[in-house]
Amino acid sequence: MITIFKAKKIITMNPSNPEATHVAVRDGNILGVGSFEEVSGWGEHALDDTFANKIITPGFVEAHAHVMAGGMMAFPYLGFFDRYLPDGSIAKGIKNYDELIETLRTVDAGMEDPEEQIVAVGFDPIYFNDQPRLTRHHLDQVSSTRPIYLHHASGHLATVNTAMLEINGVTKELRLEGLGKDSDGELDGELREPAAMSLCKTGARAVQFSNSTPEALRDFAALANNAGITACTDLAGAAILAPKQHALWQSITLEADFPMRVIQYNIAAMPGASTDFEEMAEKFVELRRGETDRYRFPGIKFVLDGSIQGFSALIKEPGYFSGEDHGQLLTVPDQLKDWLMPFHKAGLSIHLHCNGNKTQDLAIETLEEILCESPRPDHRHVITHAQLTTQAQLRKMSKLGLCANFFANHIWYWGDQHYDITVGPERANQLEPCASALREGISFSIHSDAGVTPLGSLHTMWCAVNRVTPSGRILGEAEKITAAQALKAITIDAAYQLHLDDEIGSLEAGKKADFAILEEDPLSVDPMAIKDIGVWGTVLNGVKFKAAGR
Amino acid sequence: MIAFTVIGGYLGAGKTTLLNHMLKFNQGKKIGLLINDFGQINIDAALIESRTENQINLTNGCVCCTLVDGFHVAIDQLCEIRPHLDQIVVEASGVADVHNLAQYGRGPGCELDGVLVVADAETVIEKAKDKYVASTIRRQLAAADLILLNKIDLLDDATLAQRLAWLKSEYPGASIIETSFANVPVELLLGIHDSGKELSEHQPFEAYQRGEHAHYSTWQYKSNEAVSRSSLEHFLSGLDDSVLRAKGIARLSDGETLALQVVGSRRELNQINCDDTGLKMVAIGLKGQLDAEFLELLAENSFHSRHFSL
Repeated sequence: MITIFKAKKIITMNPSNPEATHVAVRDGNILGVGSFEEVSGWGEHALDDTFANKIITPGFVEAHAHVMAGGMMAFPYLGFFDRYLPDGSIAKGIKNYDELIETLRTVDAGMEDPEEQIVAVGFDPIYFNDQPRLTRHHLDQVSSTRPIYLHHASGHLATVNTAMLEINGVTKELRLEGLGKDSDGELDGELREPAAMSLCKTGARAVQFSNSTPEALRDFAALANNAGITACTDLAGAAILAPKQHALWQSITLEADFPMRVIQYNIAAMPGASTDFEEMAEKFVELRRGETDRYRFPGIKFVLDGSIQGFSALIKEPGYFSGEDHGQLLTVPDQLKDWLMPFHKAGLSIHLHCNGNKTQDLAIETLEEILCESPRPDHRHVITHAQLTTQAQLRKMSKLGLCANFFANHIWYWGDQHYDITVGPERANQLEPCASALREGISFSIHSDAGVTPLGSLHTMWCAVNRVTPSGRILGEAEKITAAQALKAITIDAAYQLHLDDEIGSLEAGKKADFAILEEDPLSVDPMAIKDIGVWGTVLNGVKFKAAGR
Repeated sequence: MIAFTVIGGYLGAGKTTLLNHMLKFNQGKKIGLLINDFGQINIDAALIESRTENQINLTNGCVCCTLVDGFHVAIDQLCEIRPHLDQIVVEASGVADVHNLAQYGRGPGCELDGVLVVADAETVIEKAKDKYVASTIRRQLAAADLILLNKIDLLDDATLAQRLAWLKSEYPGASIIETSFANVPVELLLGIHDSGKELSEHQPFEAYQRGEHAHYSTWQYKSNEAVSRSSLEHFLSGLDDSVLRAKGIARLSDGETLALQVVGSRRELNQINCDDTGLKMVAIGLKGQLDAEFLELLAENSFHSRHFSL
């Protein structure tokens, strides 16, 4: 059966056939893209004009996200910015402590079991710098009996109420660093870093294990669907380490109504915490034999450092603008080459998390050695985040054929903090240097790192195009890219990095019928309106998936 | 309370050798060892009683685990083992922040014993200036209670002296043990077995009468009189660096009881609940270095002179 979808405009991202009005689909694959006359010759067909007044683009490809984005949906949200929910509604951002307390009171009132804990997520003290620190006393105003655990957005902090401290036997006598105390030496309810956070076990574990549930995966997919995403990475999988979770994903992604492709990059880890990377590479190659249409594992990911806003990314001279440098590699640099080589040789794709540019030097140098020793044309290895990439690094990456995956959402979510606090004006203006990457001929994508920031390819695109911050500052005019360039970064170029550009990322005969369905043309609206374009939903393998609430 | 020790040090410094040594010569201690990778550790097959994917049980009561769900889950599992382990030892990765890891030893049920950092005498200065790991190495050395300067057999005397001088100038107050093949008496690394029990369960102090051992010496002190906090502080601040570990318990004149703990450069007085009276202490150092006469004088001066009432 052939279906011909009619649209107001189809943006194909195929430079050889950039625009069309009709696309013919059979068995989930594209037969042709063009005018009705051009695509109707394939035979008997049904004309579907659901999208006659809408814009079709290739389904968006989110090249750096985590299922955590879905896992977090199990908890009430206390972040500063509005958050989209799987049902299509919006959780409003929390702008002051009164709102925070009120939100938690509502949650409290809706719970039957008086002893059940509340775990909430998303709070970030960096946006409340002008107010006294949040303490247990604020949370005690919600409940003095129900334990409350507030997991901060950074993942490095939690604030808990007195009841939570008490049921876990946490007292001021414990001399654990990271256990927040006020000027009188009393506990203030803040827990800094995992050792302190784990003192309130029930809360810490609820967050840790929230990603392993079917609901997490379904919510993740719903969020993607609502944003027009048809292929979404899960960039910190544990397929071999956690076979049960892997099996769960395999079965859920096979369900007919599962609306997206999951492209999983696994952390190189196996039971027994084996570091036999040769053996691991073999296992990952073997794992790929179990790939299905909607569940792929093209490569591995290594996390090499921390974050800029946490001052734990390793950055080059002249270092952090203000604040204490906690820059730290998370992988032993002298082992990196030995660890990566087996995966490289096995034909797997490698994504290296580098937030700091000194870390990125290590990644580039190591990949250069690997490529000289074991040349592999078309490897497409990726530096992901790559936020502070320098011009020299771009030149080198270009020569080595490395791809960049920029964390464009940082421009909006932390751009002002980077300018004022972390790296200072000059380097903040060069954050996520998309335009420079274009000048150097580097293939790049842009990402949300969901659940660090919300899934939303149009928002990510808007960030790269406008480079505007919440204070209204333009962060680096010279690094702005056009809407067309940004659209490429969330479709075909993202697919290219995942080695899937022959299947998805553009609309061409023979490729998957994966579409994002938009109310307006992202290439012709006012660039500042890109993020507000309505998303009807998606088409995956020729099947329509309407966004929730539409 | 389970004693908690972190072993840090960069790649190649000798952590694994040290851990193997600890497991083999555990001196009766039941050690729960958290390691990165079973592949690195070379446990004598005759020592292995049973094993699962993530845990190896040894015939001498020790247990090795690898991390699956993070530190807190692994540490909880070790704490739940019955009968209780005596000691949890965490092998930190070559780039880990050992100071942060040590905080797990300050949770309920655990007692932080020490942060031991193994440094490769040949490369430590070079690594402390390395583009990528300088800050990591320096953070590790600064956080160490005891620095084990390993592989000194590879250095001539002049080079060794230079390395020591560098360490002492960069990390004043650091407690340094020079060694080769990480061959340090386990008693110096983890304390004398039963010392914890001795202090918490009030067994006769005479249990310490072990005198000199092959590689280390002990010194002990006992007094029936209550002491003051300031006299204990005076004693601690007067210790020379030949004392690598010390443990003690002291009843103060106001009825409060304090536990005294020295591990290398870390010296602590912690309030505890205990009915003991008087003062008991034991100190450990390398044979030939621990100066009993000096310690005796220091103790007399601290606890029997009138300096503290001035």
